[in-house]
Amino acid sequence: MIRVLRKDRGFVAGAVVAGLMVLVAITAPLLAALAGQDYTTYHDTLLDSARGGVPSGPLGGISGEHWLGVEPGTGRDLFARLVYGAQVSVGVALAATALEVLLGITFGVAAGLGGRWLDAGLSRVIDLVLAVPILVLAVSLLAIVPQDWPRPLLLATVIALLGWGGTARISRGETLTLRTRDYVAAAQVSGASWWRVARREILPGLTAPILTYAALLIPYNMIVEAGLSFLGVGVRPPTPSWGQMLSSATTWFRADPLYVFLPGALLFLTLLSFVLVANGLRRALDPRQTEVPR
Amino acid sequence: MRRLVPAVLSATVLLAGCQGGGGGDTTGSNAAFDPKTCQGGTLTVLNQGGITHLDPARLYTSGGGNLPSLLFRTLTTRNRQPGEAGTKPAPDLATDLGTPSDGAKTWTYHLRDGIFFEDGTPITAADIKYGIERSFAPELPGGAPYFRDWLAGAADYQGPYKQPGGIKSIETPDDKTIIFKLRKPEGDFPFLATATQFAPVPKSKDKGAEYEAHPISSGPYQVESYEPKKSLVLVRNKHWSTQVDELRYACPDRIEVTAGLDSAVINQRLVTGAGQDANAVTTDAVVGPEQLAQLGTGSALDKRVTRGEFPSTTYLAFNTKKAPFDNPKVREALSYAINRTSVVNALGGSAVAGPSTTFLPPQKALGYQPYDHFPAGDTGNPDKAKQVLAEAGLSNPTIDLAYQNDDSEGIGPKVASAVQEAFKQAGVTVELNAIDTATYRDVTGKPATQPGLALATWGADWPSGGPFLIPIFDGRQIITAGGNFNLAQYNDPEVNAEIDAINALTDPAAAAARWGALDAKIGKLALVIPLTHEKDVYLYGKNVKNAYADGWRGQLDIARISIK
Amino acid sequence: MTGYLIRRIGGALLVLFFLTTLVYGLFYLAPSDPAILTCGKGCTPERLADVRAAMGVDDPIPVQYWHFLEGLVAGRDYPAGPDVRHCPAPCLGYSFETDQPVTTLLLDRIPVSFALALGAEVLSLVFGIGAGMLAGLRRFRILDRVVNALILAGYAVPVFLVGLLLLLLFCVHLQWLPFPTYVPLTTDPLLWAQNLLLPWVSLAIIQAAVYARLTRSGIQETLAEDHIRTARAYGIPERRILWRRALRGALLPLVTLTAIDIAGIMTGAVLTETMFGLPGVGQLLVGAVRQIDLPVVVGVTLLTGLIIVVANAAADLLYAAVDPRVQLR
Repeated sequence: MIRVLRKDRGFVAGAVVAGLMVLVAITAPLLAALAGQDYTTYHDTLLDSARGGVPSGPLGGISGEHWLGVEPGTGRDLFARLVYGAQVSVGVALAATALEVLLGITFGVAAGLGGRWLDAGLSRVIDLVLAVPILVLAVSLLAIVPQDWPRPLLLATVIALLGWGGTARISRGETLTLRTRDYVAAAQVSGASWWRVARREILPGLTAPILTYAALLIPYNMIVEAGLSFLGVGVRPPTPSWGQMLSSATTWFRADPLYVFLPGALLFLTLLSFVLVANGLRRALDPRQTEVPR
Repeated sequence: MRRLVPAVLSATVLLAGCQGGGGGDTTGSNAAFDPKTCQGGTLTVLNQGGITHLDPARLYTSGGGNLPSLLFRTLTTRNRQPGEAGTKPAPDLATDLGTPSDGAKTWTYHLRDGIFFEDGTPITAADIKYGIERSFAPELPGGAPYFRDWLAGAADYQGPYKQPGGIKSIETPDDKTIIFKLRKPEGDFPFLATATQFAPVPKSKDKGAEYEAHPISSGPYQVESYEPKKSLVLVRNKHWSTQVDELRYACPDRIEVTAGLDSAVINQRLVTGAGQDANAVTTDAVVGPEQLAQLGTGSALDKRVTRGEFPSTTYLAFNTKKAPFDNPKVREALSYAINRTSVVNALGGSAVAGPSTTFLPPQKALGYQPYDHFPAGDTGNPDKAKQVLAEAGLSNPTIDLAYQNDDSEGIGPKVASAVQEAFKQAGVTVELNAIDTATYRDVTGKPATQPGLALATWGADWPSGGPFLIPIFDGRQIITAGGNFNLAQYNDPEVNAEIDAINALTDPAAAAARWGALDAKIGKLALVIPLTHEKDVYLYGKNVKNAYADGWRGQLDIARISIK
Repeated sequence: MTGYLIRRIGGALLVLFFLTTLVYGLFYLAPSDPAILTCGKGCTPERLADVRAAMGVDDPIPVQYWHFLEGLVAGRDYPAGPDVRHCPAPCLGYSFETDQPVTTLLLDRIPVSFALALGAEVLSLVFGIGAGMLAGLRRFRILDRVVNALILAGYAVPVFLVGLLLLLLFCVHLQWLPFPTYVPLTTDPLLWAQNLLLPWVSLAIIQAAVYARLTRSGIQETLAEDHIRTARAYGIPERRILWRRALRGALLPLVTLTAIDIAGIMTGAVLTETMFGLPGVGQLLVGAVRQIDLPVVVGVTLLTGLIIVVANAAADLLYAAVDPRVQLR
């Protein structure tokens, strides 16, 4: 399998960039320190106050000190804000995906292994989650929870609570298939506990389809997070996020195009790399699967 | 996505007073302007926030972007002039500004002749009384609160639906006379009488909460269609004429208001001015950085701009009942540490905000007297702040700062982060405490839940020092159950007595001087840190004439512009 | 069939009931009082209590919820000054902010969201199927690659990023289009379409990627099937095989998806509507959430739930109609 993946140029490129982004997210404080900047300090002297606070100088105030220029209106270092933005984007997406996989497998396997009634009940719940309009509910939910709860964690939880339906559906389907196999049936007949059957016989069979699906969930969740931040219900300042930068960039279109371009390009590049990884994994692991998060 | 807030709470406001007489741009186009021949055409108004309520009982004093006064004539109205002249009230339905007696506790008005509703019925004193009574009804909330406090024996009145007997302290001895009996002297009464709750409402046409679908007009226009927050179309009211109204020119034949637009889109459309947009104005979309780059460069756009100022201050409010802000030294230290330049930039730069060291904004009508008790310079004086903190026995403290979770009212994350940064320079760590914008005033206005330090903004309901200083510093205005604006919870009998003394003055100039002195005196206590006053710059369409910012509110006065 | 319908409708009602209860409950757990916003500045506690009573929010939450459900089924009366206002079933109450009936607000905005979704769906079907065919037939390798890359890119862009770029390109740089401002279809059809063009394209770029992928794999699978091979062996012209059989096999499942996708776009258009200032259902929701306008938030949630439920049912019926092998159980 590794050999197949290594030959897939798209996968390799995606994996390298995605890995790099994860690295940037982890080492954001280090990178900012390397640039000699942090993401909160205001630099009013670098702004043209009479013109609404655009960075003075060409290209959004790029200089030896501020490698990617400064943020209009505040003069905060853009390089530092962008690398810290990676923390939110990548972190929230990974955490949400992990939680979704956990919830999905638990509910899916329980439904698949349980009796008729348990399966019927859980299937209704799964259908319900799949039918929920994610963005609508997430906007409502995030607006009413107390403002002082830790925001990135909250974002990941809300996204996961509204989005685990897909993994549950796949887990249930696979479990139902695996269950008919002789060795699983044998284990069940021999009186092995539920937990044991699930762990020993079912979970290994779930790895490939769930991994394939989860890989695509990561960029999908990243899009949801960016969208929520864009709508102003995401992370709280001064924490930077790419979605929130893009939403404030709408007023700086012509005055400071770089401020639109940088977070946009980074977000796209990161998303694309994760999609390429997911695409490669699908081809190598589970080419039949067509399930897509929506 | 800005929402429209009552003028007092609004962040986007403008200024005319400071431009050396104001309205400097009117001189060119104004030379040939004649109100007698200005009639015709359709005016387009492009706004961000729409009118949520068109009922005169529910509109706030300056809500609705200068549009309601096209429908509702009141006992007095704004003088509709640029600059300082515009900060005075003028008689509207009444023959004069009112006659005070009993030490300004009784105010008598006489109605002028020839005034009619849009259906031709004559307007009587009883209609005005009924309009005021409606504004007390809990079914029609949202209007200005002053009258409930001022009027004698009216605090418990529940409106004409529950108590059809009416308010005894408003007397209408005949169709042309209306007398108000107050429970305390109020020299500012002619200012309050400009509010829409003083508009006449014919009792026979009142449909309670549904009246606002088509309120009966007494002004130059009447409603053709109205959709809350989205659109309002006004057409001429045939029973109004310039004979009985010298203040409103009412030039366009038709006015079409579209709301809910993005500020960037509005300004882009005004710059381009394609088609009907050449006849367009805005009353709430302040120019953004894209337009500021073009202004002042001698471009054609420079001739299509109004600069005004609405008396309003953004400030940091201390809760002096909470440690460490009970210690004046701590409040002084933070006053030294503040960096007003970064706050100005966070609000959109020097074109739309100016630094303030006084609580009163820089306008003569309010009694502005310059002072800077704790000089912080342009960007803060962290060394002095550290020194004063040390005197207070505190070093490197950590404090909480409450702010709104969006920037729609100018006291959101942008300004909060700027304050956090400035205090960091003085070794003070600020923990940011975001509160939902919709509940912000609920939390800060209840002493039990009020945080130690909060961002706040205050605007004048009319251009006088009273409505600016009283709710903030009068100790008898501390409301423990909620809705409190005296965030310092400051109560000094001497100050309260001075407020009463000024309220009894009926000469605005004499009152202004004493309001200014009072502000400078209270300023020494560092109960608040004034941050900025707001200035605003609005563009208007190519065909718009006689456009200027009125001195009262700093917006374009739609009652006087022409597109012919 | 009857049993199927009963179960289907029962399930749908359950979903809707759950959604309403969730939103209703959550909003009342939130520590905010809608009467305070309505009451305005300088509101005294006594007046606040009066306003609360006038708004009908002084009852305990379960009682309020019961009144809400009653109103939904049977309509309800509200006190409003001299008269009583009757809100006919299905009554969703009056907006706390503007006092308009929520049903009126929704009916007013559904056409905008629907026009947005329908236009985007048509565009994405045209472009998606076209691109998918080009890639599926494997005639030109380069085209094939380009389409594949576009499909991947379609997965990787958020709709607001596409929207931003389109605005930047067409409205700011090239200035071919004015900044979009919604114009009702009845006012001026041409302006209506011109202003919806960018939102349509933004949504379509992403949705088209999905259709292109489905078409491509559909065609490839059908071409590999036995009956095609048989047809080829019989010497039936390649073009006819392609149009008659391969495409049909690939497109049928896609057609059944359209109902669900229109619903998906409609309920997911919060971002697009906010970005382009379209007065649709999503924009209504964002504004209402900010103002704690509970009746409107519950109304929008119910509506979006209803749209999804109806679309799913429609998709099932459509599927049964085009594929005789499927039986509704």
